Amino acid sequence: MTRRMLVAVLALGGVFLAAYLTLYHYGYVGSLACGTGGCEKVQGSSWANFLGVPVALWGTGYYMSVFAVATAGSLGPWVERRWPSGALVFLNGWGVLFSAYLTWAEVARIHAICRYCVVSAGLVVVLFSLSLLDLRDYRRAPQ
Amino acid sequence: MTKPVKKKPSNSRFVGAILLVAVVGVAVLGYALSRPRAGVKPVDPSLAAGTAEGYLVGNADAPVQVIEFGDFECPACGQWATLTEPDVRERLINTGLVSFRFYDFPLDMHKNTWPASNAVACAADQGKFLDMHDRVFATQDRWNGEATNNPKKVFLQLAAESGIDTAKWEDCFDSQQHYPRIKANLQEGVRRGIGQTPTFIIGTKMIPGNIPFDEFRKYVDAAAAEAAQAAKATPSKP
Repeated sequence: MTRRMLVAVLALGGVFLAAYLTLYHYGYVGSLACGTGGCEKVQGSSWANFLGVPVALWGTGYYMSVFAVATAGSLGPWVERRWPSGALVFLNGWGVLFSAYLTWAEVARIHAICRYCVVSAGLVVVLFSLSLLDLRDYRRAPQ
Repeated sequence: MTKPVKKKPSNSRFVGAILLVAVVGVAVLGYALSRPRAGVKPVDPSLAAGTAEGYLVGNADAPVQVIEFGDFECPACGQWATLTEPDVRERLINTGLVSFRFYDFPLDMHKNTWPASNAVACAADQGKFLDMHDRVFATQDRWNGEATNNPKKVFLQLAAESGIDTAKWEDCFDSQQHYPRIKANLQEGVRRGIGQTPTFIIGTKMIPGNIPFDEFRKYVDAAAAEAAQAAKATPSKP
């Protein structure tokens, strides 16, 4: 498997993780709990929304975009092209910055850590690293 | 010497991996969605619910109405009650800005929370709601499900320390006469979509979690501003 393919597979995992958190945000999954859990606190905080949209929904959109670009760049007519690598670095670069901002909010503002958010942040860092390596592999390929 | 041939990556392995992740992901999400949503269960399902009625603290006609849905055995509720609530009482309730109502929201994860709600309800009958509420929250580690199977012994001691008529209190506690009310309070919380304890309803906003005083104050100020605006907009009677 190429790095691009690996990015697609991992991003699909991210789609399901973010979809779970979105369903949790809207109350379709998860059980009632005493508010000691980090995820309840994080999801219930004002930081759980960004520009009026749940952060988990932004995450779902982000992972779906990465999955779509990486899959198109792995199977479609763009396999030998460089642009999917550039697009992946761009998307995942934003992903890393946004995850860093959310992790800062968890630690410094909400004072709670949600384990699903930690897994997602780790996944984003791996996706970004793989995208950089992929871009290096394709540096001489046509746009 | 021959040039190394770059091996073409296997598409079938890639498609297989995608399918595997998709199947696992759909299965996990499907399982999560199929699980029962609410983790709340009443002690006796056949018990008829009474009328939902929170315990009022402060002036009922205060400009800002606050409701707390709390579980006496929940550590987060205990923390809020012991660390933040004294400030809320002193600076917001006693000054006449806030009317506060506590509704029981016993979670099924806590073994002794129903007896705790019952103990406080029986104390409230003798005008000792706040006293017992504070003592029960402050001593969670003495009577919670991990500490004992017989929480009544601790509650009886707390009742005596509050200056309650313990004979009357015991009659009330043993009869479980307040269980319908506790169940009604719980159902009121479920109806309002409460997802965790503590949850506060401040004016028109629902805020879940053990929030610090400053954040609580912010919501109260916003609700007070909203109430003032609404009062201005309502034309005064001639």
